[in-house]
Amino acid sequence: MDSTMPAGGPLPTPPSGMRSLSARVLEGLSEAVVVTGAERPGGTRQIVHAINPAGERLLPGLAAGAPVEHGGHDAFTAVVRGGAEEFEAEVGGRSLVGRGQPLADDSRSGDLLTCWYLRDVTDERRGSRSLHRAQARAQFLAEAGRALHGVLNVERTLRTAATLAAGTLAPTVLVLLADASETVRWVRGEEGARPVPGEIARADLRSAPRLFEAMTGDSPVDPWAAVELADLPVWSAGPPTGHVTVVPVPGTVVRGALVLVTETPLPPDVEDGLPLAQEYAVRVGTALSAAALYREQAHLGEVLQGSLEPPRLPEAVDGLVLGSAYRPARESLRVGGDFYEVLPVTPSGETPFLLGDVCGKGIEAAVLSGRVRQSLHALRLVERDPAALLDLLNAALLDAADLDAAGAAPTMPRFATMVLGDARPTPDGSVRLRLATGGHPPPYVLRADGSVVEVRLSGTLVGALRDGEFGATEVLLRPGDTCLLYSDGVTEARGGPDGRDFYGEERLEGALASCVGAPAQVVCERVLQLLSAWLGGRDHDDVALLALQAPPAVPRGDHA
Amino acid sequence: MTAPADPATAADLDAVRDDYLARLEASDETGAVVVALAAIDGGHDPEDVLLDVVAEAQREVGERWAAGTWTVVQEHVATHISERVVAAVSRHRPAPAPTGVGRIAVACLDGEWHGLPARLLAEVLAHHGWEVTFLGSSVPATQVAVHLNTAGPDVVAVSSSLPSRLPAARRLVEACRASGTPILAGGPAFGPDGRWARAVGADGWAPDARAAADLLAGQALVGDDAAVTVDDASREEQAYLHARRGELIGDLAERLRGADPSEELTDDLGHLVDFLAAAVYVADPALLARFVRWISSLTVPHGLTPAEAGRALDELASRLGDSPRTVALLRSEAVRAACAEVGAEGSA
Repeated sequence: MDSTMPAGGPLPTPPSGMRSLSARVLEGLSEAVVVTGAERPGGTRQIVHAINPAGERLLPGLAAGAPVEHGGHDAFTAVVRGGAEEFEAEVGGRSLVGRGQPLADDSRSGDLLTCWYLRDVTDERRGSRSLHRAQARAQFLAEAGRALHGVLNVERTLRTAATLAAGTLAPTVLVLLADASETVRWVRGEEGARPVPGEIARADLRSAPRLFEAMTGDSPVDPWAAVELADLPVWSAGPPTGHVTVVPVPGTVVRGALVLVTETPLPPDVEDGLPLAQEYAVRVGTALSAAALYREQAHLGEVLQGSLEPPRLPEAVDGLVLGSAYRPARESLRVGGDFYEVLPVTPSGETPFLLGDVCGKGIEAAVLSGRVRQSLHALRLVERDPAALLDLLNAALLDAADLDAAGAAPTMPRFATMVLGDARPTPDGSVRLRLATGGHPPPYVLRADGSVVEVRLSGTLVGALRDGEFGATEVLLRPGDTCLLYSDGVTEARGGPDGRDFYGEERLEGALASCVGAPAQVVCERVLQLLSAWLGGRDHDDVALLALQAPPAVPRGDHA
Repeated sequence: MTAPADPATAADLDAVRDDYLARLEASDETGAVVVALAAIDGGHDPEDVLLDVVAEAQREVGERWAAGTWTVVQEHVATHISERVVAAVSRHRPAPAPTGVGRIAVACLDGEWHGLPARLLAEVLAHHGWEVTFLGSSVPATQVAVHLNTAGPDVVAVSSSLPSRLPAARRLVEACRASGTPILAGGPAFGPDGRWARAVGADGWAPDARAAADLLAGQALVGDDAAVTVDDASREEQAYLHARRGELIGDLAERLRGADPSEELTDDLGHLVDFLAAAVYVADPALLARFVRWISSLTVPHGLTPAEAGRALDELASRLGDSPRTVALLRSEAVRAACAEVGAEGSA
């Protein structure tokens, strides 16, 4: 605009009949131009010497020849008096930027005139402010989304929801959550403080009936008075003062409300669709529902998993030392196709035990292993002999598989291999084992002298053939002898230097021999550790180990 | 709950520990339990018995194994007995009900099978009022993530003895970060001053169970992202070493001992490659240098000798030319100094 201005010469004031060239140039300008100067030589009062039509539109009330303050634009008057070179001011609700340029001496007053070039930047400023707001808002929502969805735990999500909102949406924030139970959970967040969690009975919401409505309804309930929530037992530092905004937290599984306590009413912020608080509440609701759903599923999974995991060994059995180790193939699931169990000693003095492997992996395999164990629990009521038990179990599994086929559960595994039996300690400190097998690798016996022998035992898969045959034998463990039952996940673990070799029977025998003198539990842990070293971090099938030991003849303490 | 103030009491505990060690040496589980419970009944704090008797005795057991006076099975048996003793102490003098200080999950890193230190920490924290969930030994990061979601603990504490598990530590840190749960690291894996705990992004580090309890009782744990040294290049070179692990071990063993190397040698070479990978991962030559000093201090029959360690490092440097950070680390001043110190000088 500078280049269109006359370079210097005094402007005609007031406009004469014969308008000068420069006056006509000024009239055509879209920028506002105002020339001010002292009313009289040496005077302090500033008057308008000239103003173009754009100037009159921008600063209505200013008129050539009239004092500047008559325009009623205090901010502009102050700028003129102060003689700023560049300024930005709010004038009559508009944002102005301007520049004051001294002109040559006025011929009449001898005082300096100033020419003000003014531009209305209201729209620009509003645009960039709203852009900034939109950016900050998008950033807040993105961060909130990340933080809220990082965790699938209801309590933590509630805490995160209150922490994020406190200070950003309002100095004090209350998040309430109702599910199907009679308890309403809440977390109060205060700017710069740790969130405070708590619970109230659903009945306590009666003191704030409209809050209950907001939590269960779909539309916002407006407006709110702080006193409505004063009796809610969630304010440790006294009831809220100021303004209260309640935003429903929508959700498919749980519902809640976001209560914002502010000193002044929240500005109507609807430029980009939903107000920020509502956008936030939607994200909180989604995260809370996901967490609540996950909790239900996880509980289901935990209960099922608990019933499928190998049960703990009996704490202590007279005359018998026990040990076990178990590593399922998929560790996040922690259930698999291998199973083992040692039951409490029976009234007739036997300790029944079992180790097996269903043909399959993962949860389906675990379901079949559960079925095998439960069937055996029932069958033991009518039969004690290990080989006879396997005959019964074989028939039971085949019958169950027929039922499955009728009900169309085609992916369920059907076969299992196992060694089962019982242990009876004898008065001389030995342990007599009765063993039977169906298609499972035979156990080893580690003698107290360090020798390792394989038990001769074989049989067909359990649950495969109606006329399956299951071998049986007896083994006498002398004091210090250990019998190790294992699943083929041990011998078929691929590892070694190039990751292709099976661990194999020979290495297992060597590992076992190195454990002479160790209690049964240490035998299992040591074998598992050597196997882990062999695997070198590679994936593996389920691994199960169960060791039964006759206590060493001399109590260990007597060596000392 | 603090260290015994009375010197006579501390001296008592020294005597109890000697007695306890004798029971471990005799593989006498019953006797070891009796010694520990008698000390508690005699007025010693259960925490002191767990840390100054059981944990200290286990440290001694580790030293005896390293010195070659105890076999690995003896060490296993002793650890097994100490685990039984911890369980017996916890039954004999159960921790009081949680006081509301917070909920904490205690776990060993994936691949860490020494569960006793974490178990001791769990007991100590329970006595300090924490609601403790002990997740066990060798807990995969996915399982910790499941626990974070279902139980939502305030803090996770993780223990590990071997620095070769540091990549697993980083995976766990990432799982905890995703849920905004701070993680406290402990155990020798994280370095004598905890520097590798910071390198993998843990929010805090404690040298032992008492320090962990003190740290947790104070300010909230806050990590320092600027201290994390793991980056894409270090991940990449570590993963490459891990993928070639078996092949490298086989080649090195053949170079050193010919066609039929001992199992002890291949085990040691496995550790060497794992420690190198961990050192690359956290970008700290001192980690490998410490390993060189440590393995040279062991007395394992048929194991890697210092001279062989030096040759193995040379061989690795010449084979891993496409991994610039790994080579720079192998040829670093710190590693060379360690080799010179233990008589493992090579031409690297």
